[in-house]
Parts: sequence; C-alpha cells; structure tokens
Amino acid sequence: MKGLRKILSALERAGIIVEDGLLVLILTSMILLAAGQIVMRNFFDFGFIWNDELLRLLVLWLAVAGALAASRSDKHINIDVLNRFLPQRAAVAVRTVTHLFTAAVCALVAWHSLEFVRTSYEFQDRLLGDVPAWALQSVLPLGFGLIAWRYIVHFARALAGLFRPGSAA
Amino acid sequence: MIAAGPILLLLALLGAPLFAIIAASAMLGFSREGIDLQALAIEFYGIAEMPILLAIPLFTFAGYLLSESGAPKRLVRLTRALLGWMPAGLAIVSLAACAFFTAFTGASGVTIIALGALLFPALHEAGYPEKFNLGLITSAGSLGLLFAPSLPLILYGIVAEVPVEDLFLAGILPGFLMILFLSGYSVWKNRAIREKLSDFSWREVGAAVREAAWEIPLPLVVLGGIYSGYFAISEAAAVTALYVLIVDVLILREIPLRQLPKIMRESMVLVGGILVILGMSLASTNYMIDSGVPQKLLELVGSLVVGEFTFLLLLLVFLLALGAILDIFSAIVLVVPLILPVALQFGIDPVHLGIVFLATMQLGYITPPVGLNLFIASYRFERPVVDLYLSTLPFFLFLLLSVVIIAFWPGLSLALLA
Repeated sequence: MKGLRKILSALERAGIIVEDGLLVLILTSMILLAAGQIVMRNFFDFGFIWNDELLRLLVLWLAVAGALAASRSDKHINIDVLNRFLPQRAAVAVRTVTHLFTAAVCALVAWHSLEFVRTSYEFQDRLLGDVPAWALQSVLPLGFGLIAWRYIVHFARALAGLFRPGSAA
Repeated sequence: MIAAGPILLLLALLGAPLFAIIAASAMLGFSREGIDLQALAIEFYGIAEMPILLAIPLFTFAGYLLSESGAPKRLVRLTRALLGWMPAGLAIVSLAACAFFTAFTGASGVTIIALGALLFPALHEAGYPEKFNLGLITSAGSLGLLFAPSLPLILYGIVAEVPVEDLFLAGILPGFLMILFLSGYSVWKNRAIREKLSDFSWREVGAAVREAAWEIPLPLVVLGGIYSGYFAISEAAAVTALYVLIVDVLILREIPLRQLPKIMRESMVLVGGILVILGMSLASTNYMIDSGVPQKLLELVGSLVVGEFTFLLLLLVFLLALGAILDIFSAIVLVVPLILPVALQFGIDPVHLGIVFLATMQLGYITPPVGLNLFIASYRFERPVVDLYLSTLPFFLFLLLSVVIIAFWPGLSLALLA
C-alpha cells in the first residue's frame, strides 16, 4: 500500500513537470511562430505554408494542456452558488459526488475521442502536409484520459477526507 | 433519461466543472438522437479550425505578464499625473487605471489583485472612507471589459460571428459612459471631504511618461495595427505578447526568467478553462440548434413580447439573473448562440447585442451572492463578503443605470461604426 502511494506521488510530480514543460513549449512556439509570420510576410514577402494550420493545432493542444493544468487543483470554471454556504463536511460530501461525475464524463469523452482518432487513422487523414492526422489528434483522448485520472484522485482524496475529518480533503 | 436535465442542473449548482456538465448534456443529446458520440470529439476538434482563437492565449499571457511587472505602478503614476488634479481626483484615477488595465487582462480578477494593492492604501491615505474605497476598487475591477482588446469582446465576436474589430469600436462610448457615471458618483459622494487638490504639473507628467515609455505604445500598436489593416487580431495579440515579454523580461528585467513558467502556467489555466468550455459547447450548441431550440425560444419569446422595447427589457432582466450565477465566458459560449437569432428577429443589431450582453454580464461580477469580484476583494482586503455586498451597492446601481442607457440607446454603441 505504501509502495503504491509512493509510486503514485512520484508519477504525480513527474506529470506536473511534463505538463508545465508542455505549456511553456506550446505557448512559446505559438508566440514565436505567430510573430515570426508577420515579420516574414512583411519584410521578406514569404511565409511558411503550414504555419497557419500549425498555429491552429497549437491552440487545440494548448486548450487541452491548459484544461489538464486546471484540473490539477480543480480550478475549472464552475458555478459556486451553494458550496460557499454549506458547512464544511457537507461541502466535502458534495465534492465527492461532483469529482466522480467529472471523472466519469471525462473518461467517456476520452473513450469517444479515441474512436474519433481511430476513424481518422483508418481513413489515413493527413495534416500539415504529410503528418498523419491521428498522431496530432491523439491529444484529445490522452488529455481527457488524464483529466479523468486527476478527478479520480480528487474523488479519492475527498472520500478519505469525509471519513477521516482533518486529513487532506 | 427525463430526469437527466434536472440532475445536471443540480450538479452544476453544486459546483461540478461546467465543461463536464456541457459535455454530459451534449452526449445525452447525441445518444438520444442516435448520433455516434464521436461527434463530440469532432465538434471539440473545431477549436483547431478557428484561427482567431489564437488571440485568446496570447492576449491573456500578455495581461498576466503586465500584472506581474511594474506596469500597474507606472500606470497609476501616469494616470495620477494626468487626472489627479480633479476633485475626487484619486477616485477618478482609480477608475481610469482599472479600466485601462482590465482591457488588457480580460477581467479575470487580476485587476483587483494587481491595482487594488496600490490604490486601496492610497485612497485611505487621501482621506476617502473605507466603505467607499472597497466599493470603488471592487466595482472597477471589471470596468474595462468593453475596451479593446478585452477577452470577452473577442470571445463574443467568435461565438456570434461578428467582426471583432467592430466590437472593439462599439465598446468605446458605452465603456466611457460607465466610467463617467462612476466618476460622477465619486465626485458627488466625496464633495464633503477636502482632499487636498494636487496641482497639475507638466514636470510630473513628463516624468511619469518617461517612466512608462515602454507601455504607452502598447494600445497604439494593438489598435493602430488592427485599424490600419496591418495586423489581424490574432497577429496583434502575438505582437503584444512578444513585445511585453521582451520589455519586461529582457529590457526592464522586472520579471526574472525563472518566474516565466509559473506565469505561463497560471495564465494558461484560465485559457484552458475557457477553451475547454468553448469546445464542449460547440457540440452542445450544434445539438440544440439541430433540435430547434432557438425556434422554440423564438416562439416562446414572440408570444410574450411585442416589439424591440419589451424584448430588450426582458433580455436585461434575464441577463442580470444569468450574470449573478454564471461567469462571463461560459455565458457567452452557452447563451449567445441561443439568443442571437431571437434578437435578430426583433431587429437588434448583433454588435449592439454584444455590447448589451457584456455590459450586463459585467454587473454579474459584483452581483451578490456569488459575483467573482466580491470574493476576490473579500480575500484580498480581508473583509467579510457581506461588507462588500453593501459597499458595492451604490456603484452597482450607477452601473445598472448605465447598462439601461446602453441597452435602449443603440446609437451609443453603433455611432463609431457608421
């Protein structure tokens, strides 16, 4: 049990580093590509053919990576009407329900995105010239799968907090 | 199946992430119609098919960088040098500085945190009553929403398929009207306190301008670039992000390089949160349009309402209630596709609708019980949130008055477009 917990927390730390690295990488390349494009077009009358498409894909990746980062500390946009006025234990109980729901929805989204990627694999769609589309699209099942995992962890923590008040919830 | 709607609503009210609620309702809708659930992923992938979305992460990052740098301090000094000589000068300075800053940071609460820390003690020192200061800073935290290049304006343009350039222009006069009303209230309210009127000094203006020399070109670059046709919106965003990055990190060196990943992550958490809701709502909106929800809504509203006037009145009441529980970004992606066709039927210009929508949702930031700014200010200034309900009330009423004027005077929004 202790070994498992150790592995899990090591995984979590590694995940955070990879995730931050990805966010920095995507955003930086976005800024450079988009600004570079203006310079190229105006001063050299020249542009990369795939630049626009690549930038649009980067937005998709950033959306998923950002959503994943937001799920790390449950910072997704929500309606916070009732929770602020509930007693603490009740609020934790409510969170176990909403976390489990979110995990289930994200798992479903991940599963059906996988189907989408599989279809695109079968049709051998190509993007950015000759890059297989499925490779670029697999960010969807991967991202939502990881978000589902994060919410399972949130769920487990809230549940533990419910039965052992005072522990991390 | 029939119980699914109320259950989702309950889960939303209990604080489940909105993107999950929207995804669940889209999947329910698709499966009810026998559509393969891959459709959700296909619609979400639509995010990669809207070039203008690029502007959202780039402007957001630039705004977060600015708020971490010395820019807020320089902005306050410059506004103070220019406007501080007026009666209730510092209050007006606060309003102007907050509005300008919010335009760049997109009303994410950053304004209250970045500028509140400077303005709150300064107002106190100048002799303004604390209750007034709390109300002022909290309400001003979302004041610049109607000024370019604010995030909600861009998002409305994307969702309603209206040129973002037009929205940028349309927001200017209504935005000034709001500042004017709050300034007027501040002057009247503080007529009794004798704040020592500071003298206008060209030397101080010169010094403040020199200090802010790197930031002053920013609005010119953004707006000038867009309206001269030199940049597209997303390119202006890229230039802004790169410019701010170079100035704050390399030239002024106010932000150490090792702090960048943290700022990038924080800003992208907000962006990811907005885009994931947008992506899911692409699916749910498509489903709702296919199953004829806008037509049903139109029939319903048509049976209740005759004419533009009553429609606008109903819209305002609806948006005020919506703004009290839903944040501005979710409200735009969820509600605009449904009310836009109805508004068009009643002869309302989509650009004007956008300004009315955003101006009313701006009130939502300070509407009890859950207005975002109320909680941010309560946390930042360590006051119970009920104090903030009371102190923002007069500001709320004046903003409400300006929203009514904006709604029933379309010319104000559309004048600069003619």
